[in-house]
Amino acid sequence: MKRRDFVTRIVVAGSALSMGIGCGRKIEGEQQGKTTTAAHATNPQRSITEPAREIPVIAETDVLVIGGGPAGVAAAIAASRAGAETYLVERYNHLGGLWTGGLVLPLLSTHAIDKQKRRKKVIHGLGGEMADRLFKLGMAINEVNPTIDPEAGKYVLDEMITESGVKMLYHAWGVNVIMDGNNIRGVIIESKSGRQAVLAKVVVDCTGDGDIFHWAGESYNTMNYHIGLVHRLGNIDRIDKTKPGYKEMPIGLPTPIPGVNWVNMHGLDNQNGIDMPTLSGLQVQYRKEIWDSVRKLKQTPGYEEVFLLDTASQLGVRMSRILEGEYRLTLEDTMTYRNFDDVIGISGAWTSMLYKGKRILSHERPLWQIPYRSLLPQKTENLLVAGRCFCFEETLVEDTRIIGTCLITGHGAGVGAAIAANDHVAVRDINRQKLRKILEDQKVWFG
Amino acid sequence: MSASNLFFSGFSQNKIKLYLAKPKYIRRLSTAIAVLLALPLPWGILTGFYIWFSPFVMLNSVFLLKSMVLFNVFGWVVLLISFFRNRWFCRYLCPVGLGCDTFSRWGRSKVSNVKKIPPLGKWLTLISLGAALTGIPLFIYLDPIAIFNGFFAAFSTSPSFTVFVSLSGLPLLFLSHLIFPGMWCGKLCPLGGLFDELTTLRKWIVKTFVKRKVIRTGSNFTRRTFLALGSGLVSGLFVPRLLPSKTARIFRPPASINEELFNILCVRCGNCIKACPTNILRHNLQTTNAVSWMTPELTFQDNGYCLEDCTRCGDVCPTGSISPFTVEAKKQLYIGSIEIGLEKCLLTDNKECDRCKTVCSYRAIEIVPSDTSLITKPVADLKKCVGCGACAAVCPSETIQMVFPG
Repeated sequence: MKRRDFVTRIVVAGSALSMGIGCGRKIEGEQQGKTTTAAHATNPQRSITEPAREIPVIAETDVLVIGGGPAGVAAAIAASRAGAETYLVERYNHLGGLWTGGLVLPLLSTHAIDKQKRRKKVIHGLGGEMADRLFKLGMAINEVNPTIDPEAGKYVLDEMITESGVKMLYHAWGVNVIMDGNNIRGVIIESKSGRQAVLAKVVVDCTGDGDIFHWAGESYNTMNYHIGLVHRLGNIDRIDKTKPGYKEMPIGLPTPIPGVNWVNMHGLDNQNGIDMPTLSGLQVQYRKEIWDSVRKLKQTPGYEEVFLLDTASQLGVRMSRILEGEYRLTLEDTMTYRNFDDVIGISGAWTSMLYKGKRILSHERPLWQIPYRSLLPQKTENLLVAGRCFCFEETLVEDTRIIGTCLITGHGAGVGAAIAANDHVAVRDINRQKLRKILEDQKVWFG
Repeated sequence: MSASNLFFSGFSQNKIKLYLAKPKYIRRLSTAIAVLLALPLPWGILTGFYIWFSPFVMLNSVFLLKSMVLFNVFGWVVLLISFFRNRWFCRYLCPVGLGCDTFSRWGRSKVSNVKKIPPLGKWLTLISLGAALTGIPLFIYLDPIAIFNGFFAAFSTSPSFTVFVSLSGLPLLFLSHLIFPGMWCGKLCPLGGLFDELTTLRKWIVKTFVKRKVIRTGSNFTRRTFLALGSGLVSGLFVPRLLPSKTARIFRPPASINEELFNILCVRCGNCIKACPTNILRHNLQTTNAVSWMTPELTFQDNGYCLEDCTRCGDVCPTGSISPFTVEAKKQLYIGSIEIGLEKCLLTDNKECDRCKTVCSYRAIEIVPSDTSLITKPVADLKKCVGCGACAAVCPSETIQMVFPG
C-alpha cells in the first residue's frame, strides 16, 4: 500500500471521526417553564369575624345525607331501607338535582360490555327501581339510557323518599360541619328558619361540589369544566317541514312528553363551578342566549309555533371538587374489569376513550366496578362521599359524573352508612361482606 | 451443593468450557439471540439490537449525517476489534454467516463456480462510504444485519404478501448458497469487505511504521482503491439528483430527516416498525413512489395514534433516518396536522362531547362558543398540534382528519 493510498484512508476515517464524535444527534427539545397557577377567583380583600352564637339542634339521626340529587336520594332511601334512621337535606324545592332540576334527562349509562362481550344492563338497585316506576307512569322513553320527564322524576323521588320513611328538609343548605377531632358529628344547615344543627352518627356528602368534605378539611382537586344550562322546547310536533324555506335546525332530543324536546348546552369551558359571581354571570348570559336562539328559531320558516318551555332551575355545573380519598379509581381499572373486594356496584360508560394507544368506542367500553374505598375520605371519620365528587382520575370524569354512576355511589354510601350506624363502627371499618349482602338484597347488580 | 454445581450436573465443567471456546457454538448462541431480538416482540430499545454491531451501517450513517448517537459505540467497538482480528465478527457473531455456511454445506455444490467471482465486498464498502461522505450511502441496504432484521419485520404488523415478498432477501440469500456456496461472505458482503480493508490497512501500518520497510503491494490495487473511493464521492454528489425529487407525501415518525435523505438512508431493517407500541408504523406500499418502498410510514386508519410519552422509533433507528429524541422535544416534532370538519361534530348538534380536547396531550384543542355559548365547537391551534392523531382516533363522529403539515 502506498502513502497516497494510506493518506486516503486516514482522511476518510479521520474526517468521519472528527465530524461524528463532536456532535450528538439526539434532539433534546426545549425545557418548558412551569405554568403558574392562576389565583383563586374570589379573593376577598376585607373580612369580618362572626360572633359565636347558640344554634338549635333540630334533629338527631343515624344517617344524615346532605344533597338530594341522584346520589343523595339513593343514599337516603338505601340507608333507611337498611334500617337506619335517615335525614335528608336539600337546598332546592325538588329531589333529583341535575337529573330533574337541571333537566339532564337521560339516565346514562345503563349498559356496558361484560367480559364475554355481551351488552349488559348495569344499573339495577334503586336506579333501576326509579326507572321502572317512571316507565310504569309512561314518563320514560328508550330502553338503553332512558330519558325521563323531570316533573315525573320529582314526583317519583318524593314518593320513594316518603315510602322509605326518610325525614327530609327542602330549602335548606348544609353550610358547615360539626367536628369532634377527626370525627364528624353533624352538619349546620341554614334556611329561612336561620342557622340550625342536625347531629348524626354518619354523614353522607352528596352535595356534588363536595361542600361537606371541604368544610371538614379534606384535601381535594378542583376541576374547572364546562357549565351549561339546559332548556326545553314546546310544540316540536307542530313544526311544519313542508313550509318553503324550511331547513333543519338543532332542536334537541325528544322527551317522554310528545311535542317537547330537551336541548343540551355544552357551555363555556374552564368555568369554576363553586364561584358564585361566575355562576351568576353565566346564568344571566345563558338565559339571554337561549332566549335569543329560540327567537331566531321561531323566525325560521316552519318553526313559528315552537316556544321556550323552560330553562333548567339548576345551572349545569358538570364538575367542581374531586375528593382525594382512600383509593383513586383509575382509567385502567375501568378498562380491565378490575375486581374490588369492596365493590359497591357496577357502572357503565357512554364516551369513547383512548386506552394504551387504541380507541375504545362507547359501545365497546367494559363495565367497571366502583370500590367502597373511593367513597372514603382520608382523614375524617364517619363521613362518606357519593355523587360526582368521589375519588377518581380526571380522565374518567365523563363516566363518573353522570346520573347512573351517582345512583350507584349513592346507593353504596347509603348502605355503608346504615351498617356503620347500626353496628356502631366507623364507616371505614364496616364489614365488607355485610355491605355486599345488603346491596345484593337491595338488588344492586354485581355481574 | 452449590447452585452452579446443580446447574452443571450431568456435564463436566471442562466440556462446558470447550463448548464456549469454540467459535461455532458461540455463533449459534449469538444467532439465537439475534433472532430473538429481531422478532417483533416487546424488546423496547433492544429491538433489532444486532444492527448496532454493524460498523458498515454505523460508518455510512456517521459519514452521511456527520453526527453520532450513543449506540454507535457498539459499531466502533466491533470496528476496533476487527482492526486486530479480521473477520472476528463473522466468525463469532454474524447470524447471516451461520445461515450462509449451513446452506452452503447442504447444497454440496462445488466451490469452483464461486471462485471466478471477484471479491466485490470491499469495493462496495469503499464506494458506499465515499458516496456517504458526499450525500448518499449507496449500498447501505446490502448490510447483512439489515437484511436479516428486515426479514423478521415482515412478521410484525398487518402481514401482507407484498411486504413478505419485498422483505424476503434473507431466505433468497440463503437459498442461493445451495448453488453458490460461500458466495456472500467471501465475495459480496460489504461488511466483510470492510473488515478485509481494515486488515489490509493494519498490515500496511505495521510494515511501514513498525518494521520501517516499504512493501510494494502492486500499483493496480491502490489505483483501484482510489477509483472506488473517488467514484463513490462523485456518485454521492450526483446520484441523489437523479432520484425523483417530487415524492408523494408520507406521514413519517417524529424526528425523521427530510424525505429525500430518508429514502436513501433508511435500511428497511424494520426496527421502528417492530418497536412501535401502538403498531401505527407500517411498511410503505405506495407503488407510485419506488424510492420510498418499504420505508416506515405512520398510518392513522386503524385509530391508533403516536403516544405522547414514547420515543422508541428514534431510539432503535440504527441509521439516523429517525433521530433519537426526548419526550420534551416531541412537543415540537411535527408528524402531521389536523383538519376539523364541523359538519359531523356532535357539538354542533347540541350533543355532549369533548373527547378531542381531553385526549390532546399538547393542549392544541379548545372548545369555544361557535356563535353563542349555546353551541360550541372544537378549535385547533396548529402550532401546538404535532399531528399525533389522538383526537382523530378518539372522535366518535370522525370529524377530525389527519393532514400533512402546512
